[in-house]
Amino acid sequence: MVKTKRKEKLYLSDKQPLSFMGVIMLILSYIVLGLWALAIILPLIDMIVSAFNGRQQQYIMLNSNFEFSLRHFDYLFNETLYFSWVKNTIFIALTTAVLTLIIVSFTGFAYSRYRFKGRKPSLMAIMLIQTIPAFAGITAYYTMHSVISSIAPFFSRQMMLILIYAGGGIASNTFILKGYIDSISTELDDAARMDGCSSMQVYRLIIMPIARPMLAIIALWSFIGPFMDYLLPRVLLTSPESYTLAAGLFTLINDFRTLNQPAFAAGGLLTAVPIVALFIVLQKQLVSGLSQGSVKG
Amino acid sequence: MGKYSELLYDDIGTSYERKNKYLLELARLQKRLTQNDSQAAELIKKHKSNKKVHPYNVALKAFKKEEANFLKTLNAKKKVYSNEIKSKNDRKSLQMKVQLFDANEKIKFYEAYTNLSYEAKLAYEASKIISNQLPEIIETYEVNRNRLAEVNEQLKNVSGDAESKANASYNEYKSQQNANLKEQKIALKEKRRSRLISEKALKNGIVALKRTRKDELGQKKFESISYSLKEEKANLKFVLSKGIKRERNVLKSNISDLRRKTPIEIERTSPFVSKLTAVLPGLGQFLNKQYLKAILFTLATLFIYVIAIPYALGFGNYQGQGIAGLISLAEGGPKVAKSLIFMIEGIVAILLLVFAVSLFLLSYFDVRKVEKDLIKGTRQRNWFETITKIKQDGFPYLVSLPALMVIIFIVIVPIMTTILLSFTGMDPKHQSKFTWVGIDNYKLIATGTGLAGSVFWSILGWTLIWTLTATTLAILVGFLLAIIANNDRIKGKTFFRVVYLLPWAVPAFITIMFFSIMFSADGSITQLIEKIFRVHLEVKNDPFLARVTLILLQTWLGSSYVFLLSTGVLQAIPGDLYEAAQIDGATEWQKLKRITLPIVLFQTAPLLVGQYTFNFNNFSIIYLFNSGGPFNPSKYGNLAGTTDLLISYIYKLTMENQYQSIGAAITIVISAGLMIFAFIGFKNSKAFKEERL
Repeated sequence: MVKTKRKEKLYLSDKQPLSFMGVIMLILSYIVLGLWALAIILPLIDMIVSAFNGRQQQYIMLNSNFEFSLRHFDYLFNETLYFSWVKNTIFIALTTAVLTLIIVSFTGFAYSRYRFKGRKPSLMAIMLIQTIPAFAGITAYYTMHSVISSIAPFFSRQMMLILIYAGGGIASNTFILKGYIDSISTELDDAARMDGCSSMQVYRLIIMPIARPMLAIIALWSFIGPFMDYLLPRVLLTSPESYTLAAGLFTLINDFRTLNQPAFAAGGLLTAVPIVALFIVLQKQLVSGLSQGSVKG
Repeated sequence: MGKYSELLYDDIGTSYERKNKYLLELARLQKRLTQNDSQAAELIKKHKSNKKVHPYNVALKAFKKEEANFLKTLNAKKKVYSNEIKSKNDRKSLQMKVQLFDANEKIKFYEAYTNLSYEAKLAYEASKIISNQLPEIIETYEVNRNRLAEVNEQLKNVSGDAESKANASYNEYKSQQNANLKEQKIALKEKRRSRLISEKALKNGIVALKRTRKDELGQKKFESISYSLKEEKANLKFVLSKGIKRERNVLKSNISDLRRKTPIEIERTSPFVSKLTAVLPGLGQFLNKQYLKAILFTLATLFIYVIAIPYALGFGNYQGQGIAGLISLAEGGPKVAKSLIFMIEGIVAILLLVFAVSLFLLSYFDVRKVEKDLIKGTRQRNWFETITKIKQDGFPYLVSLPALMVIIFIVIVPIMTTILLSFTGMDPKHQSKFTWVGIDNYKLIATGTGLAGSVFWSILGWTLIWTLTATTLAILVGFLLAIIANNDRIKGKTFFRVVYLLPWAVPAFITIMFFSIMFSADGSITQLIEKIFRVHLEVKNDPFLARVTLILLQTWLGSSYVFLLSTGVLQAIPGDLYEAAQIDGATEWQKLKRITLPIVLFQTAPLLVGQYTFNFNNFSIIYLFNSGGPFNPSKYGNLAGTTDLLISYIYKLTMENQYQSIGAAITIVISAGLMIFAFIGFKNSKAFKEERL
């Protein structure tokens, strides 16, 4: 009887037992972590609640009562151009990702595997040009687009936007991919060449399959970019039909004619959910992709 | 007068005797001349005057005449021969046979002249290689082609009866194999259940079983006649196209090797062709007998003379006048003519000219190099060799071409436009037509005068304060949370990590806009504060409060990213470091200061620096939260608000109020600053220093 009681009191953890100060520190830690978690969650919960609250009118208020309703989603789908914004954003994001992948996979391969003239200076040059903010050339984009579209009418503003996104990502993505391909042993290339592979075949059959994880990260980043950006679509796209989500949703809180804050909350929620899910699932890969590109500065 | 050397050299420096006796003697005489031989000059003169009657030259002339005759008759013979065998052969084998015939004839003719000139020697030996290797290729080709015909014939005659029989037997075999597989799988699982093998062994075992089954089924399939014939047909077709092509490429590369080892002799001693043809890329290559290069450079010539130069002169422009438009900026032009278009077209014209000049230089140096090699004795590359070389060395350039085009179009042209624009007077009154104003815009900024310049310094001040405080605070909070959450004793880490990820994962524009709603005069947060503290805070109307709120909001947004980064690094720090410190008696604070901080900072430093530049240009948070407001016209004028950063100020100047030129000047100033900042950081970065070259 006595024996079992003793056994219960045995300290089994391989950590040192906590001192009194330690306990206080631990409690403090929990409090800090909890408070910050609350600070993050509360505004987001407010957004979710407002999106579903049928009592909210044009402006979101605190003290209004809650009544579950899909009214705001209904408004969003029927009274605004939400679906065409989603369509535009996905189109722009997909095309940007594909274009970036095609261009960057080649340049990353070339910069990693070949020692050609002007390699280092050009690398340096694109890294520096990269630091200039994207809209430094915005006045020119505007005029360039009007010139090109008057010659080639199919060249829409969205295409210009895609080109800007893809072009802006070339430098950093090339650098990230180059770093990744550098880590692939060149013996693989040599073996393939000995078996008669051409440069193109080495690229297609050896390098690309191995670099697929990094390519996926690059594609993902270029895909998410257009979802996050507000400035360029706002400047370049002129009609509400061609807006992306960011520019479109802003009209719901900025423009008095279309002002509807709960509908904005609903739209924001719908946009955020898939992206957040993606981030949570791919957390590790995204962060590692970030630190791989850390030289970007 | 040109000097001849006694020996010829190939591209790896091996020396060869001259076969041209006339040039050899000349070279020897010239050598005597350098040794101060008094007679040499006289002898050289004599030697030169006897050039036409020199025995070697006579022999060479005779050879050339005979060669011309021979080639003429050879052509006729080839025609006859090809007509003879045409009926029995398809295009490919006909071509190869005629080539073989040609080589055999050439061997007979050139054999006698191999000592006379290197040209004859090359022709002789190349023909010999062909006549050695080509018959085998032809045979392979014909054997395979005949077999293909047979297979095709057999395929037609496959009886349906045998087919269905084979199919039935295959299906039976398959079901038997499937049953086998099932049994073996169950046996394996049984083993696993009784803990004889590990989970991984079970998985691998199943994979292996499946593979065996697939292999055996694959073998069995070949019992069906039509299937095996079809497979054979595919194989034969592959050999006939790709296999034969590879064999012939081996033959060609053997000839290339021979060309590398056989020197060339020419009478030219200075590379004047490159100088004469410099203005017409392609012609020099043609004269050097490099026809592939000639075609490519002719395209360059077309580009230069049909596109680049006319465009620069103002032809084919959309509206502008080429380079001249850069100076005039549409001054005095019609009403529809826009200065900005003139400027952009001028920039495009300059880029085209730069491109044209580089093509000229490329062509000139290419021809010169080949010519110098020829004088030295190295043979020029032929079509096949050029293709191989382009495929090897040209590959990185070719595949980077799309990137280059996009960068020129999207980055270079717009940035050059912005640079030029900053020297003009484009403002609301001068939208379609403006003129050059020199450095006036920069003067306005530097002295802080004028409509736009007067607020520049105060905005810059706030921008710097904002960048430093908002970023530093975000980094501190993120890092602190990471350290706290990384404590072993904390439970529910996954929950905290997912929650802390949210501000980064939810698109920033959504959270910013929603916070903007919540902070408005009757938004939720304002009301909450009113309820608790009984004060009504008009955050959006009070400059100080707005600024503090923005900094806090950015902390909320930015700490998430820092948290994720530092957590990743923290988890990767090996535990023994801490254990060792513990044994040495280090306190928690010392461990943090000496181990954790240095490691985390070292690894995340470049990204943290990136956070500073990001916040410097953080347009969305300022513009979406309160459009740069609240406004304070007495201090900030009508354009800028009190929370405006330089970037949102530029946006307002250029996009909302059309002061493009001063906006461009500010853009250039901050871009230059950021670039210097990035250059220093990048130059010192590990990645760039450790670049293998």
